[in-house]
Amino acid sequence: MKRTPSRSSWLALLSVAALMTAGALAADTVDSVPPSDRKIIERAQKQWAFQPIDRSIAPPPTDPGSDSPAAHPIDRFLRSVLRAKGLSPSPPAAPRDQIRRLYFSLIGLPPSPEATEAFVQDPSEERYGRMVDRLLNQPQYGERWARHWLDLARYTESTGFEYDRLRDNAWPYRDYVIRSFNRDKPYDRFMREQIAGDVLEPVTRDGILGSSLLVCGAYDQAGNSQANLTQRAITREEELEDLISVVGQTFLGLTLNCARCHDHKFDPITLTDYYRIKSVFEGIQHGERPVETPAETKARETQIAALKRDIEAAEDQSRRLYQRGWSLANALSHPTLRPAGPAPLVRWSFDHPSLSALEGTLEGGAFLRDGQLQLPSPGAYFQSPLLARDLREKTLEAWVSLSDLQQRGGAAISIESADGTKFDAIVFGEQQPRKWTAGSTGLERTRNLDGPEETALPGTRIHLAAVYHADNSIALYRNGEPYGKPYTPAKPLATFHAGDTRVVLGLRHHGGGSPWLTGSIHQAAVHDRALSAEEVAASFRAAGLAIPESEVLAALTPTQRAEFAAALDRAQKAREQLANLSKPKSIAYAGRRTQPPPTQRLKRGDVKAPDGVVTPGALSALTETLGDLDLPADASEADRRIRFARWLTDPRHPLPARVIVNRVWHHHFGQGLVSTPSDFGAGGTPPTHPELLDWLAARFMADGWSLKALHRLIVTSAAFRQSSDFQAAAAAIDADNQWLWRFQPRRLEAETLRDAMLFVSGRLNPQVGGPSFRPFTTTDFNATFYHPFDKDEPEFNRRTVYRMNVNSGKDPMLDAFDCPDPSIKTPRRATTTTPLQALGLMNGSFTLRQAKLLADRAAAPDPNDPATGVRHAYRLALGRSPSPDELARAVSAVRERGLSSVCWVLLNSTEFLYVR
Amino acid sequence: MSGNRPLPAILSRRHFLSGTTGGLGAVALAWLMRADQARSQSATLAGSALTPLFAPKAKRVIQVFCCGGVSHLDTFDHKPELDRLHGKSMEGKGENLGFFGQPGKLMRSVYPFRQHGQSGTWVSSLFPHLAKCADDLCFIHSMFAKSNNHTPATFQMNSGFTLNGFPSMGAWLSYGLGTENENLPAFVVLPDPRGLPAGGSINWTSGFLPANHQGVPFRTQSAEAIADLRPPDGIPGTAREAELRMLAEVNRDFAQAHPGDSAFTARLRSYELAARMQTSIPEATGFEGESEAIRRLYGIDEPGNKGFARNCLMARRLLERGVRFVQIFNGGSFGSPRINWDGHENLKENHDTQAATMDQPVAALIQDLKQRGMLEDTLFLWSTEFGRSPATQGIDSPGRDHHPTAFTCFMAGAGIRPGVHYGASDEIGYFVAENKVTVPDYHATVLHLLGIDHERLTFYHNGVQRRLTDVHGEAIRDILA
Repeated sequence: MKRTPSRSSWLALLSVAALMTAGALAADTVDSVPPSDRKIIERAQKQWAFQPIDRSIAPPPTDPGSDSPAAHPIDRFLRSVLRAKGLSPSPPAAPRDQIRRLYFSLIGLPPSPEATEAFVQDPSEERYGRMVDRLLNQPQYGERWARHWLDLARYTESTGFEYDRLRDNAWPYRDYVIRSFNRDKPYDRFMREQIAGDVLEPVTRDGILGSSLLVCGAYDQAGNSQANLTQRAITREEELEDLISVVGQTFLGLTLNCARCHDHKFDPITLTDYYRIKSVFEGIQHGERPVETPAETKARETQIAALKRDIEAAEDQSRRLYQRGWSLANALSHPTLRPAGPAPLVRWSFDHPSLSALEGTLEGGAFLRDGQLQLPSPGAYFQSPLLARDLREKTLEAWVSLSDLQQRGGAAISIESADGTKFDAIVFGEQQPRKWTAGSTGLERTRNLDGPEETALPGTRIHLAAVYHADNSIALYRNGEPYGKPYTPAKPLATFHAGDTRVVLGLRHHGGGSPWLTGSIHQAAVHDRALSAEEVAASFRAAGLAIPESEVLAALTPTQRAEFAAALDRAQKAREQLANLSKPKSIAYAGRRTQPPPTQRLKRGDVKAPDGVVTPGALSALTETLGDLDLPADASEADRRIRFARWLTDPRHPLPARVIVNRVWHHHFGQGLVSTPSDFGAGGTPPTHPELLDWLAARFMADGWSLKALHRLIVTSAAFRQSSDFQAAAAAIDADNQWLWRFQPRRLEAETLRDAMLFVSGRLNPQVGGPSFRPFTTTDFNATFYHPFDKDEPEFNRRTVYRMNVNSGKDPMLDAFDCPDPSIKTPRRATTTTPLQALGLMNGSFTLRQAKLLADRAAAPDPNDPATGVRHAYRLALGRSPSPDELARAVSAVRERGLSSVCWVLLNSTEFLYVR
Repeated sequence: MSGNRPLPAILSRRHFLSGTTGGLGAVALAWLMRADQARSQSATLAGSALTPLFAPKAKRVIQVFCCGGVSHLDTFDHKPELDRLHGKSMEGKGENLGFFGQPGKLMRSVYPFRQHGQSGTWVSSLFPHLAKCADDLCFIHSMFAKSNNHTPATFQMNSGFTLNGFPSMGAWLSYGLGTENENLPAFVVLPDPRGLPAGGSINWTSGFLPANHQGVPFRTQSAEAIADLRPPDGIPGTAREAELRMLAEVNRDFAQAHPGDSAFTARLRSYELAARMQTSIPEATGFEGESEAIRRLYGIDEPGNKGFARNCLMARRLLERGVRFVQIFNGGSFGSPRINWDGHENLKENHDTQAATMDQPVAALIQDLKQRGMLEDTLFLWSTEFGRSPATQGIDSPGRDHHPTAFTCFMAGAGIRPGVHYGASDEIGYFVAENKVTVPDYHATVLHLLGIDHERLTFYHNGVQRRLTDVHGEAIRDILA
């Protein structure tokens, strides 16, 4: 059976697509749609974007009557349409306009005066072509085009939602995009990496980084950790919808997300399709992961295991020896006292005037005095190195004096994961004033206890112990007596992993609201087992007696002392090596992977209305062309994405190639052939030049999915190089210039405007890649708040694509110039003109500084020669010399107010802000 | 009106305007055009998408948003049944809806209630000043939020969606109605002096609407309400005037050399407006000419309101000068010590502190608008993101957890029936018992009062004709005057 309509018939469909309205295609009721549902296929046949790309299309012949034959294939397509509409193309733009346009389009920066003059002298085809090649090979090309891509990817460097915390390791994805563009990575591979690069053999670092696309948007941390399970499930569904919509809109130009609650209103996408695609991505979770290939991981893990064994052996030895010395010293110096308490895994006593790295570090104003760790004010705490052993069952102990009893929420001792998101702690006054609790992550293992309110006066030492038993029960003790009743929380004990766990004293956990304890700590200990009530009592009675290390060691034999020192040294060295190894060399916010249970389709998208299991799949409407993913419901997480990535990049796929060539066209001409670049469905607009679109898509694939080849093709067309002059007669026929009778002038985007100012002032720092610059301070009040500043330092003078792109800390000037909210997928930016923009450019310290720098750069050495400075400033900022009138006006302005005032005018001028 | 469709809708308007070119500057021009036409009222607007669909009752909106979740049970939703059940377990309400889990026993209101005004409105002793306004207010006791989590719930009240990136109501109003005074922003936000709400500027974003519609947060405690309003020190006034003259000439020359591109003219215009804002904003945010009686009414000089009273008076001045939407936040983000209404630990302690900032200034604002006749065409909104649970949070705790399935907001002013109580929660204020009002219903009502059919105020974004009300919402007819 022939399923593909001929070209003429699919072109005819365009008018149908344009006329379709919501009412014309009411949603079908589908309870169990097989993947090859007839109705859906029929609907797909009615839509142009679902038809195969017609590879037989050739450019129309050049018009024989034309006096300047357009050899360029793009122009042949465009001109045949212009002719039919009674329009003609504009003559070539002036060389100055051409070169400025080309530079901004390809690298997002203006040409230097020298480059401009050279091209004006010799505006030949050859020179233009060489210039195109040179620009495409500059790193600034990748920076420019990565910004466009990041708009689509809803790339953000903070979590958004309530906390909006910084996401320190998001930037490797930004660099991945820049690198991919600069190396001209074939676009099909670029797509595959962003869907499944972390699992496609052979796995590469770039592959892992590419898959960050799936998680580089906002993340509702509070919603994901709340107690209410239904709400938590809804939060997760929203998160997956965001992921599915970024995949659908970016690569397919389809709003897959519209089928979450019902079949798509316009497009052949069923509710079942949505949940089958959801199944493909259901294993993706937000979070960081190491950027290392499986082979690298394996080698590292082997080394880590060996080091852990070494550390354990050395520590066992040193602890045995020290315990022996302590008992002897105790017997010697305190012969009447009771025997020592149970030996802990680690003990900190603060009777040395200094700490070794082995013990930990003093932070935020903590210091040692009177044999105690002093925590004078909020912010001060002590932090241990990472522990080398897994801990689940455990006992925490601390001997503490509180500076006051009004304080709330600080901890005497806490064991936490390295990122602070998991902890168990002995906490004072958090939920109830003056009471102790076993604090924990999100209060999961915490209960208010029926213990007495604390009455100990400042300076009085109290002993506290929290015992976490293997049966998940938790008991708290104060001064050796039970504090409240032991309890078993609903949540089981947390496991704290070797190499990812540390102990902090005086701090509840990193990243909490008001986690500080003020007072002092005499000793603290962690046991790798649950102590009995008797042992806790013994510990209370026995310890707290600080015996100086010198006395302990003195009680040992010289050989034992040497063994002790050697064991310590061994452990220390191994620990240092482990610290280096335990963190992978690089970390990126590329998401975590889990194996999900079989995916349920949800009726009306309601998490409480599961409606049968679906298998991982793709679009049923394209099954006949591209087949199904052929996976069972319990397919491995990796296989799902691998198959989907292959399906997406199949050269027979009608969508991805069309979508990307249209995006590139959109950025060069300001408007795509399809003016809704992320919506190729019936809700979007049909292409103005369908044949050109298909020809470009076919050529793009034939060129090995090379974006650079595509750019070269487009920017060498006469259409790109034609004048932007307005013509009233043409505008009367085509006011929107959709047939491209001229080049459409356009304003610089926010980032380009900032970059261009830095470039012309000579201040742009061209450093490529690396962590983002942060032109703001932050304050934390449970959530993170951003306070932007403007500084003239090299790191802040980098291109704007390297600015830390946080949600609620937007730069006011970028914001005014339509820089999109990072959490929004933005295929097409708005262009507004507002008084707030004018105020920012008029009075903002950034513009004023760049104006001054431009003046310093342009000024002639001779102060009596203002004209030279003016000419130079014009050439730098606008790429041309001033006219005699302009020169006269500017020279008199320089005499009155200085050259920087004229430069201020130039940077505020419409001519500077617009590309013609 | 609908926006962002690249073809016919915009085309005709653009033709109508200046017979000019496509793409570039279209939005800019639309912005300027709206400002012009709002000024000269309907004549030139006949037939345009901007013509209100029905006669608007309200010309402008003021919203007081109380961050953190104000307890309906301890303020406006009187539940005698809770007195009876105090200390008993909560039965038959299904899954716990709280954020932290572990609910304790039912707890009666921590404040006594008394009836006020001719309407006999029950208000607790927490709000003595607002209680005096009771006959002017219209209470909705059956509000329903989608999320039990602050920020998604706050986003929903502000933008209709629980997610980041959707335009806030103020941005929609700016987009739909433009401004009455082009020398001031159409949408002004006055954050609590103690701090921004969680999510900060996400709460007043223009989302996918053009950037000129986003809320402009005023630095209400600073000498300069917005950044970059004045030239920095060191540039003498005369020099700046000369610079601006030269810039205008340069830009005019350019626009004349390249006729037909309206954006070039729009840029010239934007500098003129900027220059006027330099005087109009300080004039609006300064309190010169405000009488001593007014300052006392709001309690401007009383430290207890922590600067919040200033914002209320500033809001009135901005509304007077034609700002379309002023949003005042009472309360900031989450943390300890609490600076919002999130009374998890001890509800009374928390609400006592917050009410001391809010009650008098907001009551003063309502009275002041009323005495100036501005309540006639100003819609007043008082809202919060959700209520609080009838049971305590945790055993024997005096605090209440979040509660999304029934809470109270009130409205007043233009087109609203005063002294009315709409909807009801159940016997303990847990679920809505009658006339459920969802957030889209609430937004539809606001738009209706401004003469906008909420189903027709749309903007195309990534495949969807987006609305403030998503695909839901119905204006609440019973509260309309």
